[in-house]
Amino acid sequence: MNVSESKVIPVSAPLPAKAAARVAPGTQPATALVLRILRGREGWLFLAGLLLLWQLASTHLHLSSKYLFPTPWVTLRALWVSLPELLKGTVSSFIILVPAYLLAVFAGIAWGLLVGTTPALHRMFAAFARLASPVPPTVYIPYAIALLPTFRTAAGFVVFIGVFWPVFLNTTSGAAALPQRYRDNARILGLKKGEYLWRIVFPAALPHIFSGMNVGLVFSFIMLTVAELFGASAGLGRFVQYYADYADYPRMVAGILYTGLVVLLAIELLERLKKRALFWVK
Amino acid sequence: MSQAITAAPEITLGRTDYGLILQQVSFEYAGVRILEDVHLAIPAGQFVCLLGPSGCGKTTLLRLIAGLETPAAGAITSHGESVTGPSLERGVVFQDYSLFPWMSLRENVSLAIAKARPAMTQAERQIQAEEYLQLVGLQDAWRKYPGELSGGMQQRGAIARTLALGSPVLLMDEPFGALDPVNRVKLQDLLLAIWSGSERKKTVVFVTHDVEEAIYLGDRIIMLGAAPGRIIDDITVDFPRPRARHALLDSREFQALRGRVAAKFHEDLIRRLEAETAIHGVAEGI
Repeated sequence: MNVSESKVIPVSAPLPAKAAARVAPGTQPATALVLRILRGREGWLFLAGLLLLWQLASTHLHLSSKYLFPTPWVTLRALWVSLPELLKGTVSSFIILVPAYLLAVFAGIAWGLLVGTTPALHRMFAAFARLASPVPPTVYIPYAIALLPTFRTAAGFVVFIGVFWPVFLNTTSGAAALPQRYRDNARILGLKKGEYLWRIVFPAALPHIFSGMNVGLVFSFIMLTVAELFGASAGLGRFVQYYADYADYPRMVAGILYTGLVVLLAIELLERLKKRALFWVK
Repeated sequence: MSQAITAAPEITLGRTDYGLILQQVSFEYAGVRILEDVHLAIPAGQFVCLLGPSGCGKTTLLRLIAGLETPAAGAITSHGESVTGPSLERGVVFQDYSLFPWMSLRENVSLAIAKARPAMTQAERQIQAEEYLQLVGLQDAWRKYPGELSGGMQQRGAIARTLALGSPVLLMDEPFGALDPVNRVKLQDLLLAIWSGSERKKTVVFVTHDVEEAIYLGDRIIMLGAAPGRIIDDITVDFPRPRARHALLDSREFQALRGRVAAKFHEDLIRRLEAETAIHGVAEGI
């Protein structure tokens, strides 16, 4: 992506003072130039190296059947061919994930703000939260599927649980950690409980809330894809499971890569939302 | 030491002529006596400075008057009403971070207006908020967030918000303590201009540890001694207003007043040291 930049700069071009100073005496200008171009792009370099390693491993190692370990190129083709199916799977997954995630975020924030600011509620709920929150939500999956009428409600329930706890716990600690000066100012202004929660405690706790939402987001994908391995008829986790069952490993690997990409995008989206919402944090 | 003023207020004036009355107020925290037997009557419209070294309980006294803390003993009345908690009758400006950083200046002031005058529409509130910001010289910064402002500008904003409450009593806890000298002087003058410019003067209680600031601003200085905090002197500052800062600072009367304050603090310090030695003496005997 930055090829044009590296082409434009002639090898003999004088280095900027800052870069030149960093180069040890005696280093060849060409080496210095390469180092300079690579600076800040180490991540891409690593990915390229990984891709190369994958290519070499899949063509030269003969670990097992080549169907089990497809080359990058074969995987890419499988990805391209499966794209319509993957997109349909994404829609199907998101129909469960998005409402369950939003509902859990809403419930986690609302309840977390109340519990975090009301000592009696905190005393009432803390013991239960300590007991229930560490249970890995994946263990609910078989029961949820048996208990709830449709797969969607069951998967939605498990996603909800997976998102609710991190959001709730972070919101509670954020609300409880409200600096005294904000509390004093709110009292001086005579804010009522509702206003106080919405206009003071909620924004003040937002940094905590966002870290809870971030953990919850990753969790929600884990919960959903695991649930889909159990009993879905469509979706991302289902896609991977389906082609693994038919030993179509290029498509399966493509499904894994695609899922990773979707999660990455979702996290990026949340990160942007966070930057906008927390503009006031120094 | 303070003759007429500490006499029972009911006798000299009607209760409502006083902005604030504190009767035998004491306060304890974790078993330690912070304030002892504070007896103070402040007429409405008076500018009172609470002056004392750090740890003397002057901030605690202000928080008690604000209703943010409850006294262990004694009673506080504000304009004839007993203080049981915070009230819009008593606006407070803290030393720093009074404004909510997630609200713009105008939103911060608007919030106060919404609480003080709930009948107003949002548009009216915003216009009025801008007027209050203009009063403190922030008319061009209403869109800004506290994090984008200097300490001096933030304190101007905090003053605007407190004024917007329209409280007859204004409590200020070292509001200019974190500012550089230039801004400090500017804000002192701004505060005096607003205070003396208003039709019905607000009752101001201004906490500071800066002697010059106390003399320049106050009608009266209440000196607090430490351990436990209590009133050690009550000084009337009768320099005519408006006060010319430089002429005042150079005047013989100012120097005399400062000398009196310094001597009083010294006396309190000696008393404290002697008390400590006495305790040590007893302890050594055991």
